[in-house]
Amino acid sequence: MTTDRSKGRRDFLKAVAIGSTAVAGAAAGMFGTPGLPATGFGVTRARAEGTRYRMAFIQWQPHTVPAAWSKGIEEVLTPQQVIDYELLDGQNKVEVQVSLMDTLISQGASVIFLQPIDSVALAPSIAKAKRAGISVITLNIDATEPHASHVEMNHYYGAMDIAKAMGDAMGGKGKVAILNAPPGIIIRDQRTNGFVEGMKQHHPGIQIVADQVADWDRKKAQDVLNTILAANPDLGGAYGVNDSMALGAVDVAKEKGLLGKFVVFGNDGETAALESIEAGELTGTQYTDVYQQGRLAAAAATVLATGGVEAGAFAQQSRLLMPYVIATKANAGSIQPSQRW
Amino acid sequence: MTIRFASAALVLFFAATIAFFSVSAPRFATASTVENLMSSFSFVAILAMGQAFPLLVRGIDLSIGAIVGLVGMVVFDLSLIFQVPGWIILPAALLVGTAAGALNGALVVCLRLQPFIATLATLAAYRGLTYAVSGRQLVPGLTTTPIRDPWIVGIETYLDVGRWTGLSTFVNMPWLPLSFVIMLGVFVVLQAALSSTRFGRDVYATGGNHEAARLAGIPIGTVTVCAYSISGFCAAIAALIMVARFTTATEALGTGMELSSIAAAVIGGVSLAGGVGAMFGPAVGAFLLGTILIGLTLQGVPQFVQQIITGAILLAAVGYDRLLWLRRERRPAAGAGPA
Repeated sequence: MTTDRSKGRRDFLKAVAIGSTAVAGAAAGMFGTPGLPATGFGVTRARAEGTRYRMAFIQWQPHTVPAAWSKGIEEVLTPQQVIDYELLDGQNKVEVQVSLMDTLISQGASVIFLQPIDSVALAPSIAKAKRAGISVITLNIDATEPHASHVEMNHYYGAMDIAKAMGDAMGGKGKVAILNAPPGIIIRDQRTNGFVEGMKQHHPGIQIVADQVADWDRKKAQDVLNTILAANPDLGGAYGVNDSMALGAVDVAKEKGLLGKFVVFGNDGETAALESIEAGELTGTQYTDVYQQGRLAAAAATVLATGGVEAGAFAQQSRLLMPYVIATKANAGSIQPSQRW
Repeated sequence: MTIRFASAALVLFFAATIAFFSVSAPRFATASTVENLMSSFSFVAILAMGQAFPLLVRGIDLSIGAIVGLVGMVVFDLSLIFQVPGWIILPAALLVGTAAGALNGALVVCLRLQPFIATLATLAAYRGLTYAVSGRQLVPGLTTTPIRDPWIVGIETYLDVGRWTGLSTFVNMPWLPLSFVIMLGVFVVLQAALSSTRFGRDVYATGGNHEAARLAGIPIGTVTVCAYSISGFCAAIAALIMVARFTTATEALGTGMELSSIAAAVIGGVSLAGGVGAMFGPAVGAFLLGTILIGLTLQGVPQFVQQIITGAILLAAVGYDRLLWLRRERRPAAGAGPA
């Protein structure tokens, strides 16, 4: 495990280097070089020649996270004035995402941002895009087909740190429940396995007594937690694998007068969760600057498209793990309004 | 006559839609778009043709998408967990789909449940069963393992018809997906069954008037079970095509497909009142919906607008179906009046 973790750290540092290079490259293209003729590659030349690039982001389904990614992507792409960008809805269906991939391939898109519903199911489409010379950048969920780049939240290690912080808040003993996503999603497995492993490593005295599906949903999480509490009245805390479910647990704690005694952690770091932490309700969450995640992906995309980098030119897929913090009442205030999504 | 007129109107509308997008949507009139349309909507067309059978006997199959999911997961389990060869998996998958459809029919006939209620119940049951037998849960490592059996992934093959016929020297021809050829095969067989067999006549008679069909000695129970079995069989074929396309199956495979198939069938002239329709309409209806979705995406029209437009077309089709039904109702009354 320690070796895995060290490797994770090494990957992270490598990824930060790749990300920085991408941002620097994009910035160079974005601002141009005064006095130089519009030759070679880059945004400056594209602007001079009137070349337009088409990029699109195929999201899983509408949600605060992809919406924030898209905003971050737009912040980088729009000012360059040579890229047409749109956000497409995968409608939570593999077949819709595959069809949209096909449409973008026929359309001759330059770069496709993709939040795949399934790592395997989208792999043939990614291979097809590569054959057509289109670079694919995946967000949060990787694909089994190697592609240009993958930018993800640090689900596994973040969840381990959540377990540590949660166990600390509970004094290293007691019972917790997991409010989980439906099965069959890699993020769910990473966020659950990381949490379970983190508890084992840091707080073996804490028992995970329930792991129930609450469909990513606040209302469903309330119902599920009420049932769990009926069976385990001495439950000391709940971990929602996303913030919506954690906020559902906060609602239950409020209703039952358990606020302050019941420890609740979420995952993602959306604005509502940070506000709840500051109000002394939610104990904590893993915060990732999702705007920045989108910006990094867009910066890499700009370099790939305007730099004339071919989709098949990669010996190895780059992978960027986003930095994160475990936000609690002690540090949530340091997350600036512009970083809140 | 009415069916022919409706089919002609549908074909004209389809042609007009293609012409409109060819002019207005960038890169619509290309070989790759045609290829995309054929590969992305052949399984929808197969589902729509399958859905047409329950509709023709005055029923409905809300579980058709859930059957797709169940069959997909059976294929996943047999291939990746049990390492069963593809040539055994293919008939097994068709058998599971047909049996699931037959159970729907049995619930409607034996328990006399409303088709809507019976298939709504099995929609939930089949989807739950899919989760229960999901190899992705039983062996989590398989979530990132693609299916590689050539019998299954071979369905996602493209045929270079342009080169075979020599046409590619004159024009950029799309490659023909095998799934489209399968769809054509399903169309021919089902249309022949409807128009040239006693079973086909019994289907129309059962949907047109249950009581009259029963009095005429038609085994309406058997016909109804067969209609739902065909729907399940088509769902199994669609599932095989989808699994081949994605090289995996998810628990959510086919979710919402019941609505797409009903929409395509109704747009294709299959009456919700039963007894009216053929296979041509649902197939064209599916490709019409596909054309609109692809065309609007290429135009950069937001997807919520696409959904509104699709809904409006469906409403127009249902309205048109209602109009035709009213005309049919009036006709005998007029004939029975004084000369």
